[in-house]
Amino acid sequence: MKHSFAIFSWVAALLLVASVIATGQNLEEKVTVHTLKNGLTVIFVERHGVPTFSTIYGFKVGAVDEVPGITGVAHLFEHMAFKGTPKIGTSDFEKERPIMEQSNTVGKELSLELLKGDRADRAKITKNREDLARLDREQKAYVVKDEIDKIYSAAGGVGLNASTGSDMTQYYISLPSNRFELFCLVESERMKNAVLREFYTERSVVQEERKQTTEAVPSRMLGEAFLAAAFIAHPYNHPVVGWASDINSVTLEEAQAFKKKYYTPNNCVMTIVGDIFPASAIPLVEKYFGDYPAGSEPPVLRTVEPKQLGERRVRYEADAEPQLMIGFHKPTFPSRDDAIFTVISNILTSGRSSILYSDLVKEKQLVASVNASSSMPGSRFPNLFTLMASPRYPHTNEEVEQALLAHLEQLKTVPVSDSALQKVKNALEASEIRVMRSNMGLARTLTRYQLLYGDWKYYLKLKETVNGVTAQDIMTCAKQYFSPENRTTAYLVKKSK
Amino acid sequence: MITFQSIFAALGICLVLTGSMANAQKHPRELTQPTPLSFTPPKPVEFTLNNGIRVYFLEDRELPLVSISAILPGGSIYEKPANAGLASLTGSVMRTGGTQSISGDDLDRELEFLAATVEATMGEEYANVTASCLKKDFHRVVQLYADVIMHPAFPQAKIDQAKNQMKESIRRRWDQPAAAAGILFTEQELGGTPFGYRATAKTLKAITRDDLMAFHEAFFSPRRLSIGISGDLSREEASAALEKAFAGWKATEASLPQLPALQERSDGTIYYAYRDAPQASVVIGHLGIRRNNPDEDRLEVMNDIFGGRGFTARLMKEIRSNRGLTYGIYGGVFAGTDRGFFRIASQLKADRCVEALALVKQMIGDLQNTPVPEEELTVSKESLINGFVFQFESRERIPQMYIQNRLDGYPDDHFDTYISKIKNVTARDVQEVARKYMDTGKMIIVVVGDEKKFDKPLSSLGRVQAIDYKKIAESDKSED
Repeated sequence: MKHSFAIFSWVAALLLVASVIATGQNLEEKVTVHTLKNGLTVIFVERHGVPTFSTIYGFKVGAVDEVPGITGVAHLFEHMAFKGTPKIGTSDFEKERPIMEQSNTVGKELSLELLKGDRADRAKITKNREDLARLDREQKAYVVKDEIDKIYSAAGGVGLNASTGSDMTQYYISLPSNRFELFCLVESERMKNAVLREFYTERSVVQEERKQTTEAVPSRMLGEAFLAAAFIAHPYNHPVVGWASDINSVTLEEAQAFKKKYYTPNNCVMTIVGDIFPASAIPLVEKYFGDYPAGSEPPVLRTVEPKQLGERRVRYEADAEPQLMIGFHKPTFPSRDDAIFTVISNILTSGRSSILYSDLVKEKQLVASVNASSSMPGSRFPNLFTLMASPRYPHTNEEVEQALLAHLEQLKTVPVSDSALQKVKNALEASEIRVMRSNMGLARTLTRYQLLYGDWKYYLKLKETVNGVTAQDIMTCAKQYFSPENRTTAYLVKKSK
Repeated sequence: MITFQSIFAALGICLVLTGSMANAQKHPRELTQPTPLSFTPPKPVEFTLNNGIRVYFLEDRELPLVSISAILPGGSIYEKPANAGLASLTGSVMRTGGTQSISGDDLDRELEFLAATVEATMGEEYANVTASCLKKDFHRVVQLYADVIMHPAFPQAKIDQAKNQMKESIRRRWDQPAAAAGILFTEQELGGTPFGYRATAKTLKAITRDDLMAFHEAFFSPRRLSIGISGDLSREEASAALEKAFAGWKATEASLPQLPALQERSDGTIYYAYRDAPQASVVIGHLGIRRNNPDEDRLEVMNDIFGGRGFTARLMKEIRSNRGLTYGIYGGVFAGTDRGFFRIASQLKADRCVEALALVKQMIGDLQNTPVPEEELTVSKESLINGFVFQFESRERIPQMYIQNRLDGYPDDHFDTYISKIKNVTARDVQEVARKYMDTGKMIIVVVGDEKKFDKPLSSLGRVQAIDYKKIAESDKSED
C-alpha cells in the first residue's frame, strides 16, 4: 500500500495488545451474572463514579418472528408495554376492564370490516367508529395517562424508551441509584401483568410512525424494497415497523398471543450497569422477578432462505435524489466468515482512509456517501453484506454501481495491505475500551451478545477472531460470496416529473 | 453538595429484608421513600497557558483514554450573505485539508490507524474542535490537534471537494418533507438575517481560499480558545503537553463583528407548501428569548410541562397518546444568541392535521389562562431536579459544560444553583412566562403536505400564503 506510516504499526500494535488485555480483565472483574430459576439472565456491571444506573432488558423476539398478516406486531407490542398494569395507569381497573373488553370487540370488528375494502359495509364502519369513540371517552375516566413515564420522570429517570429490530426487542431506562427497587417493581409488573389499554389509539400512532420514519424517508423505503427482494422466503424480508395493511388490521388478541409466546423470562436478558452492588441488588431482582413464570421455549423458525440463483434488481421511484444498495447473502455468527465480513466492511468504508471513501468520495468524487454493513438486517440468521451509496450529481447510480463492483472484484485478487488490516484491529480494540465509557452503551453491548449468542463473553472473543483474519481470508470470502447470482441491487430513482 | 429528594418512594437497598411478604401487585407509591442521594458533581480545574488559552481539566482514570474539546466563538452568524456556507466549509477543510506539516490524507491515515479522531466544525455561533485517543497516543494526537487549530493548510483541491459535497447536500436537503418544513420556517422567520442565510450553489461558488483563510484567522486565536480536556492523565501532564503543542501561537486581536438585532416579523401567517407526502409536516413558532434572561428557569419548567420529550408533556399526551394523530410532537421557548426561538414541530396525520393544529393553539391558550395543576407542576420539577445528576454522568462532557456556560455568559455558580431555582418555580410563574413568550396571534405555521388530504382547509385557521418550494429548491441548485 502506498501509505508512508507503516512504522507506527509495530509499536502501536504491541502497546494496544497490552492495554486491551488489561481492559478485558477489568470488564470480566466487574461483571456478575445471575440466572433466576425461571431462566431470566441478569448481568450486573459495577461502575461507581456517579450515583446512577442504566438498564436494558431484551427479549429475543423481533420482526423476524412474525408471520404474514401481523407484520409489525413485535413493534406494536413494544409500544403497548408502556400502557401500564392493573395497578399502574388506572384509577380503578375493575371498572375500566369491561369497557376495555367492549372496545376491543368493536375494534376487532372494525378492523375486519375495513379489510373488505370496497365491499365493506359503510354503515357498520361508521357505527363501529362511533362506538369506539364513546368507549374511549368512558375508559378515559379511569386511565391515568402514561403513568410509567410519569413515575420514572418524577424519580429523575431519563431515556425511558424501547426499540424493536428484526432480531430483538429492548427496553431502556436510566435512574438515580437510589431507585433500584422502583425499577424492579415497575419492570417486573410490566413483564408479568402488562395491560394493553388504549390499543387502537396506539395502533394509530404506529400508523403515523410508519409514515414518518419510513414512507417519508426515501432511504428507508429503498431499504424496504431491497430486503423484500433479497429474501424471498425468510422473514428477514419483514419491515420492522410492519406493512401498512398489517398495522391497520392487527388486533389486540394477536398482540397478546404474540406476547405470550415470546415474552418469557427464559427468553430475556437484563443488564444493569452503574452504581449498583450485586450483593444487595440480586435479592431485589429475585423478589420482583422470581415469580415471573417461565414459559415454553419460543417456536423455532423453520423457514430457511433458499440459495439465490441469479441477480435480483429492484427500482423504487420517489421525489428524491438517487441512492443505491447492493447486497450479498452470507452466513452469520458463529461462522468465521461472519467475522471476516466485519473486517471487510471496516476496510471498505470505515473512516476517511478506508478503500471506498478514499477512492469514491475523495478521489473520484462519485458519491456523497458510501457505507457498508456486514449484518443486514440482523444476525440471528444468515444475513446480508450490504453497500449503500448516494451518487454525487451528475454521477448516476449506474456509474456508482460499476465502481463499487470493481472494488469488490479487486478484493478477490489483490490482498489488502497489512496496515489496512491492522487499522481495523486497532479500531476494534479501541472501541472495546470506548464502549465502557457509557453505562447505557455497555448495557446495550452485553445484552446483545448474551441474548443473541448466548454468552456476553463472545464480545471479548470477537477481538481474537478478528485478529486472526488474514488478507488471504478476505480474498477467499470475496471470491465465494461476491458473485452476480448471489447479488441483489436496488435503485432509488428520481421521478421524472 | 446537591441533595436529591422525591415524592415517589423507593428505598433502595436497606429494605430488602422486609420484602419477603407476598409480592402481590402493588403501585410504586406503596414503596418506602428512598434515602436521598448525595452527590457532589466534579468540577474541572481551570488554568491558563502562557499564550492565553484557557484550559478546563478533569482527571478521569477509569479508562486509558483522553478527550479534548475546544470551543470558541465563530460560526455562520458571522458570514456575509453572499458567502453563506463559509463557516461550514472552513470547519470542514480545517480538518480534511490537513496542515502546513501534514496533508489531510496523511492525517486521515495516521489518526485512523491509531483509532483516534480529530474533528473541526463551525456551527451557527461557535466553532468546536475535538480529539479523542488512547492514552498511549496522547502526545502525538495533541500535537496533530493543535496543528489543525493553528496551521490549517486549506489546499484548493480539498476546498473544491468540500464544496462539491456541500452542493450535493443542497440538492438532497429537500428529500424529506420534515426537513423541507424546517428550511421554509427558517426562511420565513430569519431569512435575510445572519441567523437565516442559506448556503446555495451560488454562494459556494463565490467563496475563495482567501475567504477561508481570513475566516479562520478572524476567530482562531489563543485568547478566544477554551480547551476542555479530561481522561487518564494528571493536570501537570495535560498542562505540559498543551503548552508544548500550542507554543509560539500568537494572539490576533480582531474584535467579533457586531450583529444587528433581530426584529420579530411573525404575523400569524400560515405558509403552505404543496408536496405529495403521507403526512403534514408542520413547524410553528416565532422568536424566543436572549440568553441570560432571568425567566429561563421558569421557561424550563414550562417547556417540560408543555412540549418536553416525555409522554408526560401535554403536547405528546394529547396529540399522540390521547388522539393518535402523530408519532411525536415537541416544542418550547428557548434561549439563543440574540432572540432564540419559540418553536413546535411535528408530522401529523394528514386527514386530521387541521384538528391537531387548532388543538395546539388551544393548548397554548390553556397554559396561558389556567394555572397548571399542582401535581403536574410537581412531577415536572421533580423530573428536572432528580434527573439533574445525569448532566454529570459523562466525565468527558463536564469540562465542555463549564466552557459553554462561561462563553454563554452564565454565572459560574449556574450548576450549583440550578436545583434551588427550579424548586422555586410556581404554577403562577409558568402561566406568566407562557403569556409573556408565546403569542398565538403572531406565531407562523409552516405546513408541507397535500391539502387535499387534510380534514379542513388551512384557511379555517387563518390567513394562508402558498409557497412553491420546488422553485426555491431549483434556485438553490443554480450557480447563477
